[in-house]
Amino acid sequence: MKKIVKWSLTALSCAALLAGCGGGNGNGSESDQGQAKTDADGTRVYSAFMGVAGKELPEDNRINVALADLVGARAEVTWLTGQTAKERIGVMIAGGEYPDMMDASDAYSQMVDAGGFVPLEDYIDDYPNIKALYTDLEWEKIKAANDGHIYAIPQFSSVKGENMETNYGQQAFWIQKRVLQWANYPQITTVDEYFDLINAYAAEHPETDGQPTIGFEILTDDWRYFTLENPPAFLAGYPNDGAAIVNPDTLEAKVYDTIPEAKAYFQKLSEQYDKGTVDPEAFTAKYDQYIAKLSSGRVLGMVDQYWQFEQAVNSLKSQGKDEMTYVPFGLVLDPSVQPQYKEVPSLNTNGGLGITISNDDVEGTLEFLDGILSEEAMILRTWGEEGIDYEIDENGKFYRTEEQRANWINTDWVDTNAIDYGYLPAYKGMYSDGINSVLPHEQLSEFQKNLVDIDREVLAAYGHEKWSDFMAVQDPVTPWFPIYTERDSWTSSDPAGIAKQKMTEVKMKWLPKLVMDGPEKFEANWEAYMADYEKNVDYKVYEEKLTEEVKRRVEVEEEILEKLGQE
Amino acid sequence: MDATKDVTVKKKKTLATRMWQQKELILIALPFVVYILVFNYAPLMGWLMAFQRYRPGLGLWEQEWVGLENFKMLFSDASFIRVIRNTISMSLINLSLGFFFSIAFAVMLNELKNRHVKKIIQTVSYLPHFLSWIIVTGIVLDVLSTETGVINQLLMALNVIEQPINFLADPKYFWWIVGFSNVWKSTGWGSIIYLSSMSSINEELYEAAEMDGANRLRKIWHITLPGIKPTIFILLLINIGNIMNAGFEVQYLLGNGLVQEVSQTIDIYVLRYGISLGNYSLATAAGIFNSVISVVLITLANKFSKAAGEESLF
Amino acid sequence: MKKKIVISDMVFDIVKWIFLLFFFLATIYPILNTLAVSFNEGLDAIRGGIYILPREFTLDNYRSVLSKGSLMTGAYNTVLRTVIGTVTQLFLTALLAFVLSRKEFMFRTPITLLFIFTMYFNAGLIPNYLWLTRLGFANTFWVYVIPGMISAFNLLVIRTYIRGLPESLVESAQIDGAGYFTIFMKVILPLCKPVLATVALFIAVGQWNSWFDTMLYNGFSERYTTLQYELMKLLSSVTSQGANANDMKNAGGSMVTPTSIRAATTIITALPIVCLYPFLQRYFISGLTIGGVKE
Repeated sequence: MKKIVKWSLTALSCAALLAGCGGGNGNGSESDQGQAKTDADGTRVYSAFMGVAGKELPEDNRINVALADLVGARAEVTWLTGQTAKERIGVMIAGGEYPDMMDASDAYSQMVDAGGFVPLEDYIDDYPNIKALYTDLEWEKIKAANDGHIYAIPQFSSVKGENMETNYGQQAFWIQKRVLQWANYPQITTVDEYFDLINAYAAEHPETDGQPTIGFEILTDDWRYFTLENPPAFLAGYPNDGAAIVNPDTLEAKVYDTIPEAKAYFQKLSEQYDKGTVDPEAFTAKYDQYIAKLSSGRVLGMVDQYWQFEQAVNSLKSQGKDEMTYVPFGLVLDPSVQPQYKEVPSLNTNGGLGITISNDDVEGTLEFLDGILSEEAMILRTWGEEGIDYEIDENGKFYRTEEQRANWINTDWVDTNAIDYGYLPAYKGMYSDGINSVLPHEQLSEFQKNLVDIDREVLAAYGHEKWSDFMAVQDPVTPWFPIYTERDSWTSSDPAGIAKQKMTEVKMKWLPKLVMDGPEKFEANWEAYMADYEKNVDYKVYEEKLTEEVKRRVEVEEEILEKLGQE
Repeated sequence: MDATKDVTVKKKKTLATRMWQQKELILIALPFVVYILVFNYAPLMGWLMAFQRYRPGLGLWEQEWVGLENFKMLFSDASFIRVIRNTISMSLINLSLGFFFSIAFAVMLNELKNRHVKKIIQTVSYLPHFLSWIIVTGIVLDVLSTETGVINQLLMALNVIEQPINFLADPKYFWWIVGFSNVWKSTGWGSIIYLSSMSSINEELYEAAEMDGANRLRKIWHITLPGIKPTIFILLLINIGNIMNAGFEVQYLLGNGLVQEVSQTIDIYVLRYGISLGNYSLATAAGIFNSVISVVLITLANKFSKAAGEESLF
Repeated sequence: MKKKIVISDMVFDIVKWIFLLFFFLATIYPILNTLAVSFNEGLDAIRGGIYILPREFTLDNYRSVLSKGSLMTGAYNTVLRTVIGTVTQLFLTALLAFVLSRKEFMFRTPITLLFIFTMYFNAGLIPNYLWLTRLGFANTFWVYVIPGMISAFNLLVIRTYIRGLPESLVESAQIDGAGYFTIFMKVILPLCKPVLATVALFIAVGQWNSWFDTMLYNGFSERYTTLQYELMKLLSSVTSQGANANDMKNAGGSMVTPTSIRAATTIITALPIVCLYPFLQRYFISGLTIGGVKE
């Protein structure tokens, strides 16, 4: 018996070895990627890969089925896991096999370089809903940024009708509602006023729920640390160009790390750190701890972008601690400067959803995309099915009942019932009836139903209807905005790309030190920081490359406007 | 005249004869050799990437050749030199701490007479190996925290310090924090191999020593440790070759701006300057550099080990 | 012979107990902690401050993980690859280790070197991917078993062990006319139980935890997905909250968070290994005597 076992083991192993070597000619090379499949009922199925993390939804998801019925096709979306987009897509490129559609995230320029996308400019006119996403000017801009081609359709830049944004999701200095309530809703415009208020409140409330109150928190974990280093740009009145500040008259891009506002801001932070207002662990804590601290309700304020701490807000709300959630303010150092924190949804010319060369049914795919952009389909994607997910009142306005709203907050329910194809082309804003906003949470009436007492109090005290009213929008919207998209296309063969890395290293080394060493050592530290920056960061090359891009974008816009006869 | 002819003929005969005599061994070994050549050596063609400016869309032979430029870039970057220093230091610390604790733990466990307790402690000890570094570093961060961390509270309670120490903000602690985190996570798992080795030591040796009046320590010193000596040496040699791989996750997860000069390892450098800038060639060049160093180190270490009369890899 | 009470032994015992106890507590804490977090409500878990008991008990995290449809397929594939992978790799590695332990083998050194060096170099992600794809391993199950069949580390461990066995056993079998293969099967294998159990554990755990190969070679095929890869995807999707400005959903959001899901997936992953372990443990914790051969 033992013998048989042992011999079969040997046989099995040899077979395995041989099978491995011989298996080369087998069906292993046949792949599921890029081959249009169909379901049993004839619905076309396309594969899509998104270079960001996301959730895979089940096939039998209710609205997925409804959409497939409406449009005659559906997409199977897979998401990025375990690697960076550049690595994952780099491997795909090397292997030459792609899914039908792809959002390449920060590997976009690699894909373009490798010729992985099918140029779409000749197809767009045949698909009215896709074309209607953007104005002619915008399509031309995309073409101009991509050698005359359209490789990808941006998904987040299209707003129809009015911008209905209710919540504010971008960068701001945030402060807890209870602090504002205690101070009787003062106007806060400068950094000084902000910290004065926080310190005053903290003095009276040294503890929150048994734990020490933290005046000001900063998130510095790895790639999230931009909230530490980018305030100077905003404080100086520039919008979120990200990579640099651009002088609108001379069209020159400059790094914002060396401007006087930067020095003033970090000096202020160092003073506040010395006083004990800033959390001593801010520079060593990781993202999870940041969230934990915010979720405990004891952080009075921070500078951050909402989506980074959304989890914490959800936690606070679930604990019933709504007075500890946050309100945004766009601060400046000098009261005469006009802040421009809030962005207008800007056109990203270097990214979006593209159709890959492995796709053997380009027209069918475009038809699918066109289909899901029809108003009927969009309503399915955003509001759901009438009668089940929302109701319509006598004025034609969409609304949700208590029960419906409860469903939509429940993620498990949402996963089995709703799909929004969030990374496939879509638009925001208003529907053509002029009454309903595309996104339910941007529908003012729905938004207001979700407010609790303190929310209403705060909004009323400042005379605003919704949170995004607190923030001044960028004005004017410059043609080159946002310039940070240019940076993503740099590789390390670009000296500018290396400069970008070095910049991050130098800043991550010095900024915490500037703050933690306190006001006495500040001057000396600042000098040393600047010296290090000069020596190790080739910012000239960085600025030059950005300036070049700024000028190019301006020229392009002028050309296009002429061409379109709108001059 | 005749004698020389005889000798050469004899030599030729011997080689072929030897091969014939060992035909069974050769036959068994052959498929393995083919296998390793196919799966591990053939893809090394990819090392050519290090001498190119690799762009993923093109085939290997269509790339632009840049000679040693990538290597020059590595060695002229002060950051790279620094990360080499960091990597080697952390490896050495991990190596020494790891060995000491794994062996000590295995020895102690082996001395436990109660089988039941032994099994339980051993099973629990390796469990941290299964926790991802994300979870483990989360715990480390909590333990070292200035507000609620156990370490600070203990030190203050014992009056060793007055103010809590922010361990993670100070470069001088970093390598030790990494070292001890590794000990925590890997000791249990690492001791398995020593335990298994110990289990094959002849019981009679212990009995004989007992009769000679040896106490526990002497038994350990003269029987247990020598019994696992081959295992210790083999592992030591293998790990010396791994010095350039101090890891990535721990340092990435625990590092921050204040300690980045000591926390960045070669792998992190490769990620920052290679992969995230789409520069596969640079990453490959760094990989080749690592491999060369490893091979050199292990050859030297092996020579020493052999010369000292100990176990050797080859 | 009377057993004397030796002071040094007592001291040693005390030290031993303190050391082991400390280790036990230090290593059991993270497990209990992870267990507690996995049974804790997500939004509450992110507040921190959970030690060994859950604060807000819930089974939501597990439900969330286990309700994923493709988990079953993944589990099936993972079990399959673990069993097949362990058996074949163990057997083949041990065989080669035996061959390489024979001092008389004329190619011993070069072949050993050939294998040792594979521990220290790697062709790189893209070359390996291209090569294995070219060989036809993409979208197959065999990509989990065939490449990486012989780990040089395991090879050396087993070889070291075999070297420690008395030569006389092999010699007497040879005198009886047995060939090398027979000696391997009949004499060596049975004596190698402790090391085989150890290496089996290493291989099995490696196979069980693998997901990277799934992602690279079977990332788009549902048929060959593995448990770990499914869990990985689940964890990524939960982590995508707070990762991206474009994903901001509104109000309330999910009850599970990355922290709690991560804990649940860790427990689910570790549990089978912990259950398997006692079966292997007895091979190397109890100790065997090598049948009466006087050296």
